[in-house]
Amino acid sequence: MAALGTSPSTLTDAADVIALLVLLSEFAMLRSSLSRSQVRLYGFQSLCVSVLAGFVAATQHIGELYGLMGLSFVLKVIVVPMVILRLVREVRVDVTASHRLGVATMVLLAIVLSVFGVFVVGRLPVHSHSLPILALGLAAAVILVAFLLVIVRNDVVSQAIGFFSLENGVSVASLVLAAGLPLIVEVAFLFDLLVAVVVFGLLMRVHQGRSRTLSTRALDRLRG
Amino acid sequence: MGAILVAILVAPFVVSLACLKVPLVVAKALSLVSGAASFGLAVALVPSHEVTTALSGWLRVDALSVVFLVAVTFLYAATAVFAVGYIQPGGGAAEVRYSRRFFAGLNLFAWAMAMTPIVNGLALLWVAVEVTTVVSALLVAIGDTDGAAEAAWKYVLIASMGLGIALLATMFMYYAGSTVLGGSYELFYSRLLGAAPRFPPEIVRLSFGLAVLGFGTKMGLVPVHTWLPDAHSEAPTPVSALLSGALLTVSFYAILRFYQVTVRAIGPAFPRDVLLVFGLASLVLAALYLASQRDLKRLLGYSSIEHMGILAIGMSFSAPIAIVGVLLHVLAHAAAKSTAFFGAGNVIRKFGTKDMDRIQGAVGALPLSGPMFLLAILALSAMPPFGIFRSEFLIVEGGLSTRATALSAVLIVLVTLAFFGLSWYASQTLLTPTSDSVAPGEVSPWMAGSMVLGLLALVVLGVHPPAQLSGLLERAAAELGARR
Amino acid sequence: MTGVELDPVEIQVLQDLTILVFAPFVSGAIAHLGARLQGRRGPRVLQPYYDIAKLFCKETLVPEEASWVFLAGPVVAFACYLTVPLLIPVLTQYPLPLGYMGDILGGGFILSLAGFAVALAALESGDPYAQLGSSRAMTFGALIQPSILFVTFTVALVTATDLPYFEAAAVRSSLGQAIAPAHLLAAVAFFLVVLSDTGRIPVETHASTLEFGMIDEARTFEHSGPALALLKWGAAMKQLILYVILINVFAAPWGEAGSRQVGAVLLAIPAFIGKALGVGVIFAVIDNSFSKLRLFKITEFMAVAFLLAVLAVLVLFLGAR
Repeated sequence: MAALGTSPSTLTDAADVIALLVLLSEFAMLRSSLSRSQVRLYGFQSLCVSVLAGFVAATQHIGELYGLMGLSFVLKVIVVPMVILRLVREVRVDVTASHRLGVATMVLLAIVLSVFGVFVVGRLPVHSHSLPILALGLAAAVILVAFLLVIVRNDVVSQAIGFFSLENGVSVASLVLAAGLPLIVEVAFLFDLLVAVVVFGLLMRVHQGRSRTLSTRALDRLRG
Repeated sequence: MGAILVAILVAPFVVSLACLKVPLVVAKALSLVSGAASFGLAVALVPSHEVTTALSGWLRVDALSVVFLVAVTFLYAATAVFAVGYIQPGGGAAEVRYSRRFFAGLNLFAWAMAMTPIVNGLALLWVAVEVTTVVSALLVAIGDTDGAAEAAWKYVLIASMGLGIALLATMFMYYAGSTVLGGSYELFYSRLLGAAPRFPPEIVRLSFGLAVLGFGTKMGLVPVHTWLPDAHSEAPTPVSALLSGALLTVSFYAILRFYQVTVRAIGPAFPRDVLLVFGLASLVLAALYLASQRDLKRLLGYSSIEHMGILAIGMSFSAPIAIVGVLLHVLAHAAAKSTAFFGAGNVIRKFGTKDMDRIQGAVGALPLSGPMFLLAILALSAMPPFGIFRSEFLIVEGGLSTRATALSAVLIVLVTLAFFGLSWYASQTLLTPTSDSVAPGEVSPWMAGSMVLGLLALVVLGVHPPAQLSGLLERAAAELGARR
Repeated sequence: MTGVELDPVEIQVLQDLTILVFAPFVSGAIAHLGARLQGRRGPRVLQPYYDIAKLFCKETLVPEEASWVFLAGPVVAFACYLTVPLLIPVLTQYPLPLGYMGDILGGGFILSLAGFAVALAALESGDPYAQLGSSRAMTFGALIQPSILFVTFTVALVTATDLPYFEAAAVRSSLGQAIAPAHLLAAVAFFLVVLSDTGRIPVETHASTLEFGMIDEARTFEHSGPALALLKWGAAMKQLILYVILINVFAAPWGEAGSRQVGAVLLAIPAFIGKALGVGVIFAVIDNSFSKLRLFKITEFMAVAFLLAVLAVLVLFLGAR
């Protein structure tokens, strides 16, 4: 396409590639059968999101975003993975694949969801200064795949990671849509995430303490 | 007036912290005082005709907020009374610690929910709702049984995912605002409402849809309601009452805030359709599930889904009179559902089970709370002279006034269906002959007494709502109206 | 600087000859390097030439039940492999006369026809392992097709044609285009396609003697003599052709001749062989650092390739706005 040759600068291309890595790590989480590698993938994904935040901060000259970047780096790249990894280590249960579907089926489903997300975003009249619109489409895809992850996996680590990565997707979306959000609001969001992490950790521990496993297969007594 | 907001924001939080340290008796007393005081302060806001703000605009209360604030604080006060009787630890240190934690959590939960209608702006609104999620998830899990752990996990996972979507909705609304208001602004309601007519319609539409889906998860709208019956049945009864009466309604409040902006931006047609779909689905499913429950608290949980469906449908009529009905319904449902849960709590304590097959003749066994439980069930089924009758009447009237005749008829049929399910099971457990093994007598005067509050409120709302309250509801409905 | 200019037709023939002559060399080099990586001395780099020459001297045995298809298959396949280099940029940056004859899809069709001919010949032989190999090869070939299609779409969206020359020109046009996400994704997806189509780990082991794990290799069991020589030679050419597309279209379309002068064109040959060997090194390293996937897990590999290719198209969809 002729238009393509001229428009995107190398810088936004780099941002696009990082946003792509966010989505690809989401797929990898979906596929990965070891809780440990899943947590590490989450750390990597969060790292990509932090880099994107730094990118927006640098190109848009929004000083507050640097603080946000640092905070989310400490929280999501270091603290959360560390906490979950320790939990996984303590449990000493063989936490392996808990897929309800075949991997290929799952990936195909996730592809369909991603296509849906990107097309929906493609129809929106969004013009962002901070990041290319592609990042928003990929964020939508990340969110949808995170939902799939939570649905098709049945162990608490995968489900928690699914939620956290959903939050990563929303973070990317908010970088596109709301880069200028006031700092107080951003901090409130992050603080909330912190609380959510604590609660997730607490409940995972409660669950593990009660059933000696991280699988959710036992969680089917309440129905109807 | 601003001082009232700050007081409501501070008091329960301080009490919550204090509960961890002080002796249990003091904790109980503090909770009672804090609950009553919050309710009193909220009521003091009712006559006010202007918008109250505090803390340089971060707190803001208009008529709509006051309606929900009254509902939340009323429940806070009533639940504190019930909890005083409900929590009777034996001598063990573990039990005392549990009780302290329980009261701390209860106050914190009430604080978070009272904060939701007070804070100004969609962003803080989201933060407040998220805080209610994490606190209530811990309260659901506090019983430390298998069922509680399972319910809490499902609840926190599903609700958090839903709120993730709601956050996305907030971001889209922020973007819609930034096209008019510029790159960096606070998401204050007044600014959004002022600029709303110039928002890009597609973005607003998407944002509203996502908001209904996201906050609807916490509100218990079908098909994203799945955590609700579990959490309601496994949580300690005072928590169930707060969940059903207050938590669901503050989530509804969040949706209403989005509704308000959306209606200003793109008119009522789109929000009407979205709410109608969710509301009808909730009502149909709840009416069907009500007919097949074994667990007393699950039954009430499904009844909550039914009433949330009624709220959504009422909003979808978008006639002023229907909106007044919806807001009245919020208050009446809070009173009725909490009373019903308190009744269920009494029954469950008395019989030591939640299984309705094994509960026989509760009216005979519980001379005071038994009949009151029956009255609460009747109130929930929209019997006159209780408040829900009036509110549903207003909603249907609003539906007929907008020529949504068929829909109003469907609403009446489904509500009647739900009535049959609810009253069938209630009569099975309440009105059967009492077996001799159960000695008649109340479990606790506090637990029975708390029910009086709710019934009183229901009668007041049903027979003759105070003029100032009616004025408040009309002002709130006008704030929600589509007229620019 | 003036020099003798080559006729485009001559260059085209030269392209074909380059592939024909150097394909066994690249195969031999990869095999040699692979052996070195495993700590063995390995076969000589030129070993494939000796093998082919030896096979040409032997007689051809045909199973009793087999028909003419058994012998025609290798010939047809070889002819196909000779046709494809006419369509793709091997030595030149500018399109040659026949370059417009077929696009990437056309080349893909011809390669598939070759695979089909080999599979038919294998089926004709009646050997159970050969039939197993054919069936697997066709199955996985079909599964990898969607990825190839989406890679083609990507090329088509970027260049508004799906001629390989234009994609290469687009990549050369700017560094930004070379690291554009869509291009990167398509390149990686195509890399995975090449892994699968050349029968490399993690899809297939090249040097295995275990029939149950075989896919492509099993198909040639019953062939002998010149027919087998053609099959082996053809396989080497197919591999080099795929490398050409990977290198000269996606990864590194630099170093080809920009003019028709003899010197430039002749210089392009070693440059090309060098790049092909570079890619060969990557494949050899991959071959020796991963283990083969279980047969039923191969679909996951295909799914990854497909994912990347689809993402490439998605990226373009949003990028074009």
